[in-house]
Amino acid sequence: MPFLRKAFPYLAIALGLASLAWAVSFGTLPKADFTFDNGNEIRTADPSKATGQPENRVINALFEGLLRSLPDEGWERKYGPGENVPMTPQGAMAESFDVSEDGRVYTFHMRKGAQWSNGDPVTAVDFAWSWRRMLHPETASEYAYQLYYLVGAEGYNTAVVQEGGLVEVELDGTRRDKLQAFPRGTIVRGKVLTITKPPEPPELAKDSKANAEAKSKAEATWKESWVYEVEVASVEPSAEDPDPKQISTGGKIVCCIDPAKAKSVDAGSLVKILHILPDFEETVGVKAESPEKLVVTLKSRTAYFDELVAFYPLYPVNRKCVEEHGSPNWTKPENLVCNGPYTMQFRRIRDRIRLVKNPKYWDEQQVQLQVIDAMAVKSETTTLNMYLNDQIDWATQLPPPMIPKLKQIMPKEFPSAPMLTVYLYRVNVTKPGLDNAKVRRALNLAIDKKNICEIITRAGEVPATSVVPPGLAGYTPPPGTQYDPKLASKLLEEAGFPSGRGLPPIEIVYNELDAHRTIAERIQQMWRENLGIGVQLRGVEWGTYLDLQNKLDYHVARAGWIADYPDPNTFLDMWTSSSQQNQTGWKNKDFDALIEKAGTEPDRKKRMELLRDAEAILIEESPILPIYWYVSKNLVKPHVKGWFLNSQDTHPLTLLRVDHENSPIGSAGP
Amino acid sequence: MAVSTPTQQDLSRYELLLQEAAQIRGVSLWMDAWRRLRKNWAAMISLWFLVALVITAFFTPFLPLQSPQFQLADKEHKYQPPNLERIELNFQLEDAKQLEREAAELAARLRRLPADAPEKERADLRLDLAAKRRDHPFNRLWNEPGMLTSAMIRARVAIFGRWCIPSICGRDELGRDVLARVFWGARVSLIVGALAALVSLVIGVSYGASAGYLGGWVDAAMMRFVDVLYSIPFIFVVIFLITFLSEETTRNRLAAWGIDQIAIFYIVIGAIYWLTMARVVRGQIISLKHEQFVDAARTGGAGSGRIIFRHLIPNVMGIVIVYLTLTIPSVMLFEAFLSYLGLGVKPPDVSWGLLMNEGIKVITPVAIFWWLVLFPGLALAMTLFALNFLGDGLRDALDPKMTNR
Amino acid sequence: MKGLLAPLIILAKRAAWTLLTLWLVYTISFALMWSVPGGPFKSEKKIPEAIKRNIEAKFHFNDPVWKQYLDYMWDICHFDFRASFKLEDFTVNEVISQGFPVSASLGIFALLFALLFGTTAGVISASRRNSVIDVAFMGLATIGIAIPNFVLAGISIIVVVFWLHLLPASGWGTIQQILLPALCLSAPFAAYIARLTRAGMLEVLNLDYIRTAYAKGLLPRNVVIRHALRGALLPVVSYLGPATAGILTGSLVVERLFNIPGSGSHFIEAALGQDYTLEMGMVLVYTLLLSVMNTLVDFSYAVIDPRVKLE
Repeated sequence: MPFLRKAFPYLAIALGLASLAWAVSFGTLPKADFTFDNGNEIRTADPSKATGQPENRVINALFEGLLRSLPDEGWERKYGPGENVPMTPQGAMAESFDVSEDGRVYTFHMRKGAQWSNGDPVTAVDFAWSWRRMLHPETASEYAYQLYYLVGAEGYNTAVVQEGGLVEVELDGTRRDKLQAFPRGTIVRGKVLTITKPPEPPELAKDSKANAEAKSKAEATWKESWVYEVEVASVEPSAEDPDPKQISTGGKIVCCIDPAKAKSVDAGSLVKILHILPDFEETVGVKAESPEKLVVTLKSRTAYFDELVAFYPLYPVNRKCVEEHGSPNWTKPENLVCNGPYTMQFRRIRDRIRLVKNPKYWDEQQVQLQVIDAMAVKSETTTLNMYLNDQIDWATQLPPPMIPKLKQIMPKEFPSAPMLTVYLYRVNVTKPGLDNAKVRRALNLAIDKKNICEIITRAGEVPATSVVPPGLAGYTPPPGTQYDPKLASKLLEEAGFPSGRGLPPIEIVYNELDAHRTIAERIQQMWRENLGIGVQLRGVEWGTYLDLQNKLDYHVARAGWIADYPDPNTFLDMWTSSSQQNQTGWKNKDFDALIEKAGTEPDRKKRMELLRDAEAILIEESPILPIYWYVSKNLVKPHVKGWFLNSQDTHPLTLLRVDHENSPIGSAGP
Repeated sequence: MAVSTPTQQDLSRYELLLQEAAQIRGVSLWMDAWRRLRKNWAAMISLWFLVALVITAFFTPFLPLQSPQFQLADKEHKYQPPNLERIELNFQLEDAKQLEREAAELAARLRRLPADAPEKERADLRLDLAAKRRDHPFNRLWNEPGMLTSAMIRARVAIFGRWCIPSICGRDELGRDVLARVFWGARVSLIVGALAALVSLVIGVSYGASAGYLGGWVDAAMMRFVDVLYSIPFIFVVIFLITFLSEETTRNRLAAWGIDQIAIFYIVIGAIYWLTMARVVRGQIISLKHEQFVDAARTGGAGSGRIIFRHLIPNVMGIVIVYLTLTIPSVMLFEAFLSYLGLGVKPPDVSWGLLMNEGIKVITPVAIFWWLVLFPGLALAMTLFALNFLGDGLRDALDPKMTNR
Repeated sequence: MKGLLAPLIILAKRAAWTLLTLWLVYTISFALMWSVPGGPFKSEKKIPEAIKRNIEAKFHFNDPVWKQYLDYMWDICHFDFRASFKLEDFTVNEVISQGFPVSASLGIFALLFALLFGTTAGVISASRRNSVIDVAFMGLATIGIAIPNFVLAGISIIVVVFWLHLLPASGWGTIQQILLPALCLSAPFAAYIARLTRAGMLEVLNLDYIRTAYAKGLLPRNVVIRHALRGALLPVVSYLGPATAGILTGSLVVERLFNIPGSGSHFIEAALGQDYTLEMGMVLVYTLLLSVMNTLVDFSYAVIDPRVKLE
């Protein structure tokens, strides 16, 4: 001990120095050619599972679909710096495509020489397989509905099986890895002869008082106990179990997902299965007729299907890579096989994703930047600091209070133009008081949207009079609404709540980000002053925020909607009764009918009229309160070339260049 | 040996002793400490500052401030720097009076309503009354104040009318007056600090005292438990707990018991700050429990509980108060920290932490709205300064060994 | 032989207590997680029930609670913290192993800064008692304690990065990027250590052995550094335990402000984003860390101060 005591100071110093040395040892990264802030950490780099803007940017760098959205040739000459450049879907993995007369069948001709980053060719089969994976219930893709335009896709995704239908059955216990849906286990294909259903659970009875959640739970449990008799047409052996026993082609199997619950039949004789799904190859409208030819059959004419194909959820993934490493390991930089302009060199959580140019990319000559860093930056203030300190070349999120100032001091680095995005409030029409359309209209009319745009957002946002943002060619919106507090309070009185008398207090839910709280506080005061309504605010985190809307557990909730494709439909079809994005509880048959009719209408002008009528209903009924239409807000360094404005605020990295010579030296910034 | 009976002489000597004792002005520990504390000017200034702060915070509604919630949201007043622009409360006194008269009339009608009146009529009257009350400018401008606050606002309007102190501390993004928000924020911050410290005091003192007094394996077990809790990173648990408790259904369930967000807040914070207090109190109690007065109490038939709470705890109050003055600052900082994470008080309530978090967001290289962070920051820093100095002063005053050095 | 055995037994005891603590934390966290209405897996989107079932099976949520409790504990005993709920591409182990070295490095820097600046300021203050320097240092120290670190960090970014152009604004990877966050993180601890050192020095300087040293004619500087400081540092060493805990906490804010990819920011995001598995992993790792640090501090305390005995 005494020795230790004497040595202690030296030991402590040595320990300090050693740890210092270790702390310093984190090497310096070589600088990337181009660095941008990508907002939040992305949830996943798997195109079939991702949602959101940060994911969009990364996935567009790593993967490429049949088509890709690009501006037309010569855009740099045609459009000025403050103008939106239109983008159209152009040939990518598919060189070209034909559409059948009735607009339902798309034939994509694959590009020769298109390769995965491991050197394999990209074929039509890759797409068919990727879409199958995306639709498979176990993938739980949030964007699966983007494929619902295809014949049979929704049925496959939600596992709807009927007597007489063709099915594929996955046998239990044949998978290589229980937790991985791909590679699949032994698949039995055939035809359903009979379905034996036990009696319905009491929750599903018409007069049942169980809530929606309990109902759907009971229904799922009930379905698991259904017993299917399947006439086997063919058996596909799995990789691990090449010789499936007991089942012979032409025979019959009686199977059930949960034999223990199937009371009617002797449980011992039942084959336990994992999934029973409609036969993908027979029922879903996608087929690789040859490696060079992909045929897609839609339920009905869909004018914007080419735009959907150019949107990242429909991008392909590499089967070999996914099946070898499994999910989520296949997205690790060391495993990832991709087909886009970049590959992932490394990914540091909540720091950056380093992208390096993919030499196997078919259009590799066009790609200028060798190394790109996509930084995950949580706070807008930090983003601004990094931009002003020359640590990033492109800032995608800016602190709202600083926007007017930034516009003023560095107008050249602040390109901004209207976007196809609407900021709105959802109203839960199932809550007492809010179930009255007059109340909802009163709420809408009592918001001084101009004040919000001028005082809070201040980047040139446009007060929304209707839902669909302006700037969509051929679309004339219905007459909208203007700020009118007098009419609002009159409507409220007509609804039976004069000066808010008797109306339960309203709670506004928003996610804690941006200026959402400030806007909510402003609207709180407007409603209180104009209508006499008590309003509470509730800021929550993103996950909770989504969850509350999902469960219709809110009064009023903010939302933003970015166009998935440049067509009014993207802003309207989400409010139909069956839409998963609706989340207001609002259901209107006329509206649904108009949207459906517009979907199949071949004449563009007529289609736009139908959509306009639908929007008129939406405004009249006001299940949503549109507040303003966005403008894009970016800071881009002057040495970045090839960056252009567009109405969806997407900026292909492939077009970007960095030119330090021909840019004003010493960029603005104090 | 025979028991000697007290003689007359003995008795008179005893009398004399008693007289002498009566003449001596006993100097209690507290008096002594107070005398010492008075000599420490830093501690005294801090003490007076804190007293003044608490009083002003309490009487904030009475001060001629602007409304902390009212938004003067136009281009001129957004982020308006400190200025002397004349400003008045945004309502007409007559309107308020009119509303009050109407409300009073409605209330009277409601009272006069015969017991067998139809339920509908009664409900209608109630609704009317509620609407009138909600329309009242006080409720609009001060977000439904309680009874006492309401009375103070009434007095403020009676004395100062609609006159307000101009925005000498500037305005925020929505044109709200920073000065008013700092004052109203003081109420929340101080209450959070004080109540959380109080919770920690109650738990810590009773836990520590019980452990110390009971001794033996009970003491060992109780203190081991404290040790275990010490190595839990509580900040993490608290964040976890607060996110969990603000979940809607849980929140509603708690609200049914009258526990709101802020209450959860100080209970949770208080519940983690008691550990040090428990240790300190236990140490003191152990050194005290063999003193004669404890034996005397026990001989007098007092039970353990009575001895602990009536005899021992008053004797450790000194050190407890010192720790209390040091706990409040850490609680207040913790509140600021939680506000920074967005887990603190919810608007329209304000606290200093919330104000500072809003303020620091607009301190950027392109524009600095310094008044938004300076004034709340100054308020918090000065309070913490004062508490620290007072704590140090009290420690010195109560622990003569330290000061005599 | 006996001299060696005793510390080992104490160590074993400590380890046992740490395990108990970990178990307790696990149980509390588990209980909290599972009592969240709707269960720990709240879907963010209305997904068909069939799909939900699949996900639940994947995370074992369809088992009885006691079984989940034991299974999860079993996994954790094997250092398998399972997959992150929200960072779908990573397991919790990967997140922790990426974030931890970053935080540790930041913490080490902060702790060293705190010790360096704190003791220096304390010693100078004590040896020039009531001088201008003393008042200035102690004033600074009080400010360090009285200002929330997010305010301090926000202001120092403006001053150091944009007015003085000394250091980069944020990020991680180079020494320059570590300095400012480490300084901001260390400020309150440096302040506290300065006050402790000053008080300790003042006490020690009045003791007999220092007087003797002076009387022997030793240089004042030598007396202060070789003799007085040693005694005065005892309270500082005992403060290192709480300081480590504090630095862990403080790193939550600093990492967020400076955009440092450490476990602090992972924890905050996990807590706010209800990423339960990640949160559980983080809480357990931090608990372990704190226990180890406390044990280390106690041991070193026993080593420097002969009066202290480990129990």
